[in-house]
Amino acid sequence: MSLRRSLSPGRLVALTAGGLLALTGCAADAPLDTLEPQGPISRSIDSLSDPIFLIAGIVFVIIFGATAIIWWKFRDDHSTDEFPHQLHGHFRAEIGWTIGPAVLMAVIAVFTLLSHFELNSEDRTDIVVAVDGERTPWDPEILVVGQQWWWEFRYYFDGLDGLDLSDARHLPPADIVAANQLVIPTGSEIGLKITSRDVIHSYWIPALNGKRDAVPGRVAPWKIEAEKPGVYFGQCTEFCGLSHSRMRMQTVAMDPADFQLWVDQQMQPAVEPIGAAALRGREIFEGQCARCHVVNGINDGGGADLVSNAAPNLTHIMSRTTFAGGIFDLYEADGSLNRTQLEAWLRNAPAEKPAYAEGRRGMPAMGLSEGQIDDVVAYLQTLGTAPAMDVIAATEVD
Amino acid sequence: MSDVTELEAPGGSIGVYTRPKANTGWRDWITTVDHKKIGILYGATAMFFFVIGGIEALLIRLQLATPDGTVLGAETYNRVFTMHGVTMVFLVIMPLAAAFANYLLPLQIGARDVAFPRMNALSFWVFLAGGLFLNMSWIVGDAPDGGWFAYAPNTGMIFSPGKGMDYYAIGLQITGIASLVSAMNLIVTVLNMRAPGMTLFKMPVFTWMILVVQFLLLFAVPVITVALFLLLFDRNFGANFFNPEMGADPLLWQHLFWIFGHPEVYILILPSFGIISEVIPTFSRKPLFGYPFMVFSGIAIGFMGWGVWAHHMFVSGIGPISVAAFSVSTMFIAVPTGVKILNWLATMWGGRIRFNTPMLFASGVVSMFTIGGLSGVTHSVAPADTQQTDTYYIVAHFHYVIFGGALLGIFAGFYFWWPKVFGHLLDEKWGKWNFWLMIVGFNMTFGPMHILGLQGMSRRIASYSPGFGFEFWNMFASIGAFIIALGVAVFLINVIISARRARTAPPVGLDPWDARGPEWFTPNPTPVHNFDSEIQIDSLDEFWHRKYGEDEDGRVVRVATAEEVCQDGSATDIHLPSPSYWPVVLAAGLPFIGFGLMYTLWFCVLGGALVLMGIYGWIFEPVDDPDGPHGHGHHADEPTEDVPPEDSVDDEPLETAEEAPVG
Amino acid sequence: MADTAAVSHGHGTGTGLSDNKLLMWVFLGSECLLFGGLISTYLIYRSRFADGPAPGDIFDIPFTSVSSFVLLMSSLTMVLALSALQRGDIRNNRIWLLTTALLGSLFIGGQVYEFTTFVREGLGYTTSPFSSAFFTLTGFHGVHVSLGILMLMSLLISSLRGTLTKERSETVEIVGLYWHFVDVVWIFIFTVIYLVPSPTS
Repeated sequence: MSLRRSLSPGRLVALTAGGLLALTGCAADAPLDTLEPQGPISRSIDSLSDPIFLIAGIVFVIIFGATAIIWWKFRDDHSTDEFPHQLHGHFRAEIGWTIGPAVLMAVIAVFTLLSHFELNSEDRTDIVVAVDGERTPWDPEILVVGQQWWWEFRYYFDGLDGLDLSDARHLPPADIVAANQLVIPTGSEIGLKITSRDVIHSYWIPALNGKRDAVPGRVAPWKIEAEKPGVYFGQCTEFCGLSHSRMRMQTVAMDPADFQLWVDQQMQPAVEPIGAAALRGREIFEGQCARCHVVNGINDGGGADLVSNAAPNLTHIMSRTTFAGGIFDLYEADGSLNRTQLEAWLRNAPAEKPAYAEGRRGMPAMGLSEGQIDDVVAYLQTLGTAPAMDVIAATEVD
Repeated sequence: MSDVTELEAPGGSIGVYTRPKANTGWRDWITTVDHKKIGILYGATAMFFFVIGGIEALLIRLQLATPDGTVLGAETYNRVFTMHGVTMVFLVIMPLAAAFANYLLPLQIGARDVAFPRMNALSFWVFLAGGLFLNMSWIVGDAPDGGWFAYAPNTGMIFSPGKGMDYYAIGLQITGIASLVSAMNLIVTVLNMRAPGMTLFKMPVFTWMILVVQFLLLFAVPVITVALFLLLFDRNFGANFFNPEMGADPLLWQHLFWIFGHPEVYILILPSFGIISEVIPTFSRKPLFGYPFMVFSGIAIGFMGWGVWAHHMFVSGIGPISVAAFSVSTMFIAVPTGVKILNWLATMWGGRIRFNTPMLFASGVVSMFTIGGLSGVTHSVAPADTQQTDTYYIVAHFHYVIFGGALLGIFAGFYFWWPKVFGHLLDEKWGKWNFWLMIVGFNMTFGPMHILGLQGMSRRIASYSPGFGFEFWNMFASIGAFIIALGVAVFLINVIISARRARTAPPVGLDPWDARGPEWFTPNPTPVHNFDSEIQIDSLDEFWHRKYGEDEDGRVVRVATAEEVCQDGSATDIHLPSPSYWPVVLAAGLPFIGFGLMYTLWFCVLGGALVLMGIYGWIFEPVDDPDGPHGHGHHADEPTEDVPPEDSVDDEPLETAEEAPVG
Repeated sequence: MADTAAVSHGHGTGTGLSDNKLLMWVFLGSECLLFGGLISTYLIYRSRFADGPAPGDIFDIPFTSVSSFVLLMSSLTMVLALSALQRGDIRNNRIWLLTTALLGSLFIGGQVYEFTTFVREGLGYTTSPFSSAFFTLTGFHGVHVSLGILMLMSLLISSLRGTLTKERSETVEIVGLYWHFVDVVWIFIFTVIYLVPSPTS
């Protein structure tokens, strides 16, 4: 009786494990899924890890199968009182199962190293980008800067070589400064240089590549490449304090033509707002928000009243589909502004996303009246052009 | 028999330092230097912290059961998961291993106690002081929130203002002292105090694994000591060890932490490996398969464990060559571990297996650790790890090895050695419920985390949003966690019920499991003096070989009963190390010094005074019973005022001249 | 029937070393890792001197060499103290113990002078990663030396009270082990910090 029960751990676990493995495959609606690569880099990782998962699974089945057999076959069924053969060891078997796994590991090591060095190599080709009407070859490297609790992306169309990136809080002025969403053209390997303005973060877009830490004081090389246009989701993956769980980002991949349009838009200065509400909103912005946030033409690069010395550049905020560190949709499914959430954010940001206002980290509550909030929203709506509907739709997760 | 505690120290002593006399009641427990009582103290205290860490786990699971959970705010969640990790690693698994090591090591090597009994007591009280100190942070409302790994610069003063990380650093320094002192004590004990005939390669595997662990502690604890000092100096004295603005490298913390941290995980698992290496042969009725390989693989793991630390840093930016090197070294450490799994299976193969509760737990270790080990191998593949690291896939891995490996092994040890320690068995039926609830709950909780991790759920997030596919398995895991809790409750009930029943039940008698190791020579519970007389060890599993021989056909036959082979515990007049107050006094000073560093220097004065008093009291307290037999390890910890009288027997303490059996 | 093991009087220890001596060796093993961590930290940070003085600018090698020589000599006197006691020469044992303590104190005095000079010259504890690492490493070493001096004074007091006899010479030997270790660590530190050419600003 107890024998059957003693079998069930093996069976139970085998069933569970098998079931788990099976269920892993049918992950619907998992925007951060590592097992559904959407780009060549993540695919190369997957082509290495899939066989290794398989090997692990086979070893698992063998060991568990052996265990189950042993438990069943050699259970004490009280049919005899004799002692079993007192085998002390078997030198050859032990050498065998020392060398065997070692050989297997060596084989895995070879494939791992091949994949690893390729993953860490750079193979970029220049992209031709029109900057201010002039077509320039651009070595596509984007500076990714993490800080509590959002991501900034800085584009330098003359390339990053020769720039002094050693002090992330005082970076050279960039051609485009974006936040929350890294926009890239499809079909090109895009280099990333990843750093931080405060604590360690980690940049991770699972569909396109593994993660790389953003370490203050260091600039880490990495890369990303998308094959198809789309919105690829990410999450900060190195514990970075209070709102670590609320530090997200997306990579938006566009056809090269659309990417050029995006570049053109981003290089525009802020449009002069029309309408009383928007003008009032700009006044409020200049008086309060501009302590931290930047709108090109108003307060470029003066730094922010925060420990990290930076807050998101809002010049083209409307061209993004998320805000507040990539956690809220800026647009509803029908393309209208997500006014409720945006107002809630302006009303009391720490209630939406925890922050340390006195510690000058994260966005504080601004103490705006309802009227002021409406005005600021009106002003923000003048900052940038709404993205295409398919990008908005692709951002919805639920 | 009461200890002999006459305290007239020749040469004069300072009167106030007479040695304590109590051998019952709470005064006995506070002043004891008996390794067995100290082992029990470690075990009970660790189980107390286990409940606390378990509650912290349940809070985590309640918060994560649903998306956008509101059970805990982000700040509190960060404190809870930090303390859960710190508690389980430093205040539960390590001291549970210490409980077994303390109780069993002298018994397994045939000694009367450890080399330095007062230092042994000191280790326990310092551990308790450190554990209480760490948890004081909850009471003052400022528990550490930087994660158990405490990466800089997030844990510096700018990003972790307040006292939480100081509690963390100072608390771990205190527990580090306990581990270090204990490591030194046990190394000297094993190297110097083995019974006659017990060469290193006749030691039980449990003793071997503990020896390897003590060397790991000896060398790893100083490294985290350095790291914690650097953190404390940054936070409190304005040093620049982890301040990038002044040119420091935050990765220095990671290197120092993980150079400690990786050997630490072998410190966590090897004791459990040692325990099941005793349990599986006993219940399979065969010797451990491949004793030399088991010993050498343990040593190999101990050595190789120093060469893999940066696999915790694969994505931190250390550069592709370093990553490659550590990736390969990590793969190869799977080899000695795999050898162990196969050797345990080979032990069971061809055996006649009794699935009593200890064997259930030990078998659980073999299976669960295999899963954890296999996921570990997948992490070693650096490119794959760029997707896996910092996700719930890693959380799954280490819970499989720590809970499924270390903790289940410890429970195997509880059930196996309970009669030795307490003189009665734990109930089998409750034991089986304990096991099944724990193993089912455990797999329900942590199995799905493999999926969650591969589907992109990051670690250390206070909540997750809907729409990412995390809801189902998180809820499933949370239910599993409560089943684990139920299993733990069943264990505690078992402890109580078995103790109650033992009051009226017949005593458990000798050798209840028909076991193999030298600790079973003594009656159950172990007499306070351990062995009546010294054991001569002629072979590995000496105890077994005295009970069983082989007939002409090579079959195993019983040649002696337990009564014939075991001692009866009736020896009197065996001198034991005398109890002492001073370890408690010394230990009590340390948290005060800690509070002083954080709040007001007057506490430092108080703490320092207690420490100094403890040291001087220790040094100058009278020698225990100068008329008793002096011997090995006896005067080990104080300078004696006197030369032992010529007529005292200067040899191993287990015999007096009158008692030595002749012939 | 109880075990019939033969009585073996004078049963030695498994290693042949007394428990106390083995304990000291084991403890010194752990200390190697402690200083190893601090020395590694220094090596990483020696060139990160922010706006403060660089090591090459500020070290006074001749001065520190003399100081190191003093500490080295104290190891010699420690050996002399031990061998005196092993011969039963209580008086010389006391003299050499005192000398060792004095030489150690002279070394500490030299350290204090050196540190205060550095601070005056702009190298404070919080000046840079280099300065923090330097002062922490040498500070830990200095604390170890100071504790050693306390131990030597305890031995001296014990001797003056008549309880440090020839039979207890192992206690002096064990303190000697500690003292020599502290000296050897200083050799490492001196070489790594001072003798190996340092960055200048």
